[in-house]
Amino acid sequence: MNTLFKIAWRNVWRSRLRTFVILGAIILGVWAVIFITSLSNGMVKSYINNAVQTEVSHIQIHHPDFLKDRAIEFSVGDADKVLASIQSTKGVKAVTKRTLTNAMLSSSKGARGVQVKAIDFNREKEVTNIATKVIEGEFFEEKGRNPILISRRIADKLKVKVRSKMVLTFTDLSGEVTAASFRVKGIFNTGIAPFDEANVIIRQEDLNRLLAPEAVLINQAPDQKFDVESLTHEFALLVNDTKLVDEIAGDIEFQFPHLKVQTFRQVSPELELYETSIGLTGMIVMTIFMLALIFGIINTMLMAVLERIKELGMLMAVGMNKRSVFSMVVIETLMLGLIGTPIGLFLGYLTVTYFGNAGIDLSSYGEGIEGFGMSTMLYPSLENSLYIQLAIGVFITAILGSLYPAWKAIRLKPVEAIRSL
Amino acid sequence: MNVIHTENIKKTYNPDTIPVEALKGVDLSIKQGEFTAIVGPSGSGKTTLLNIIGGLDRPTEGYIEVGQKDISKLSDNQLIDFRRENIGFVFQAYNLIPVLTAKENVEFVMLLQNRSEDERNARTIELLEAVGLGDKIDSRPSQLSGGQQQRVAVARALAPKPTFILADEPTANLDSKSTANLLDIMARLNKEENITFVFSTHDQRVIDRARRVITLEDGVISTDIQQHN
Ligand SMILES: Nc1ncnc2c1ncn2[C@@H]1O[C@H](COP(=O)(O)OP(=O)(O)OP(=O)(O)O)[C@@H](O)[C@H]1O
Ligand SMILES: [Mg+2]
Repeated sequence: MNTLFKIAWRNVWRSRLRTFVILGAIILGVWAVIFITSLSNGMVKSYINNAVQTEVSHIQIHHPDFLKDRAIEFSVGDADKVLASIQSTKGVKAVTKRTLTNAMLSSSKGARGVQVKAIDFNREKEVTNIATKVIEGEFFEEKGRNPILISRRIADKLKVKVRSKMVLTFTDLSGEVTAASFRVKGIFNTGIAPFDEANVIIRQEDLNRLLAPEAVLINQAPDQKFDVESLTHEFALLVNDTKLVDEIAGDIEFQFPHLKVQTFRQVSPELELYETSIGLTGMIVMTIFMLALIFGIINTMLMAVLERIKELGMLMAVGMNKRSVFSMVVIETLMLGLIGTPIGLFLGYLTVTYFGNAGIDLSSYGEGIEGFGMSTMLYPSLENSLYIQLAIGVFITAILGSLYPAWKAIRLKPVEAIRSL
Repeated sequence: MNVIHTENIKKTYNPDTIPVEALKGVDLSIKQGEFTAIVGPSGSGKTTLLNIIGGLDRPTEGYIEVGQKDISKLSDNQLIDFRRENIGFVFQAYNLIPVLTAKENVEFVMLLQNRSEDERNARTIELLEAVGLGDKIDSRPSQLSGGQQQRVAVARALAPKPTFILADEPTANLDSKSTANLLDIMARLNKEENITFVFSTHDQRVIDRARRVITLEDGVISTDIQQHN
């Protein structure tokens, strides 16, 4: 066995140019698989993170009917208690509450239907990054009357600026149409086009006051005391460890069986799809690479065998059995893989680590990319398991690629091989 | 004792297309310790005969026994094992593994036989010294002359202690000095260690050194003479 390895090893270096070419192909291929996969991972992760951090959060909680109808009367009762309970649930990092309604937003230049997100702005800062997305003007403060945040897109369409006056028209809890004037406090750009197209943000206390005017409060039955302050349709929360998100959701559901608790995967099923696509992309890129590599290996090893017909014939003539000849060709091929793969893995690892920290600036393609909800800085990243999969993949490819040349080698008849002078 | 015995060996190449009758009935017995040359014009069937005796090729017809064993019934894999244990080959060229040193080449077949390291080392050195290459043990074939390479090949062929050595035109690529040198070594091993040599040749100087000369003509033995030299 030792001899086989020795001969195989020296054979590898016999035709240096050929060896370097195939090694180069392996190294480049492994590196490219790693880099391409890490780029696509980075994009998907950035997309998911963006969506989670700006819009979806890890877990959302609603009145079950609200999800069907989005009618304002389907609010969560006892919102403050619920909030406190969620807050103290193990694994919950931060939670916020919102009142949601549909409205017509108008400026002097036009109007459009929007979704109003009325937020508890101090809590919101702990849960979403919306405060950091304000590119003009400012985020909410305690003071000021009816401030509103709108997106760059809506601001452009309705031709308004910071400090412009706008009117929101919506239906209140008593079914009356109400209008209220707001002043643009800030303009945001989340990078998620659909979100920016649809949402405006105001303070929860402002909306709640408008939704439940005196009349509603006076007419309500004494037993269903309505608490304007805490009118809430949605809780959104972040957990400390995303891996535990399902358990935490289960925990909350257990506390509030009458509420609908959803993880980000349920809120945005496409996120889960993207998550699975991470693994899939890796697999596809790897498969393409391995298909290309297998032909490279077959070609290289076939040349190595055909070039040595006489020598192989001689080896079999003097008593090297077919199994050994076969193994020798396979071992030679594996050695190419064993030299090339670690180098490729290492270079790939370096590349991913470097760009994973430094990031790749895509701002020159910014407009298009932001439309897809990704940030302009791309941070490639890779699961460690891909390195292992790749190493195993090349190993298997090398074995598969060596089978045909090895089979060719043992099919040689010593007499004919030697005669072919 | 016969180390090789054949009866009515025939060999036809391409029986289905353009048949070539290379051997047309060869009866031959070679005894332990002989030093035999097979001669004859080009195309007379020397290589064919040696290949069949050496278990590299099968006769179309006839009986063949090597070391008292009928080898016509062996499978390809059994033939490989049989050759390894019983026959030493010296070809005209391409005898050595280019990536191995002289020592490693000589050792090679013993490694395939799983001989112990001590035995391998001792025998390799002994044989390389016997062929006059004690100082070249670590040279690769490309660093040796053609004659030296053939001497390594003889050492390699002897290493597994075969029943006999077959050499198909071992001197064809050598100059006269190297030829004489190789023949000296072969003759000495034959004489001192009683090793059986069967070789084919065109070279009159080589023929002169043989003690038995078998002449093939058109696939049959035409003369078989003992020489005293
Ligand atoms: N593989 C083969 N296929 C067809 N014909 C062959 C084959 N090998 C040899 N022959 C033919 O068989 C005959 C004997 O060939 P062989 O090689 O045994 O002769 P030889 O005596 O060794 O000749 P030389 O002195 O040139 O080496 C020749 O006519 C040759 O053309
Ligand atoms: Mg010949």
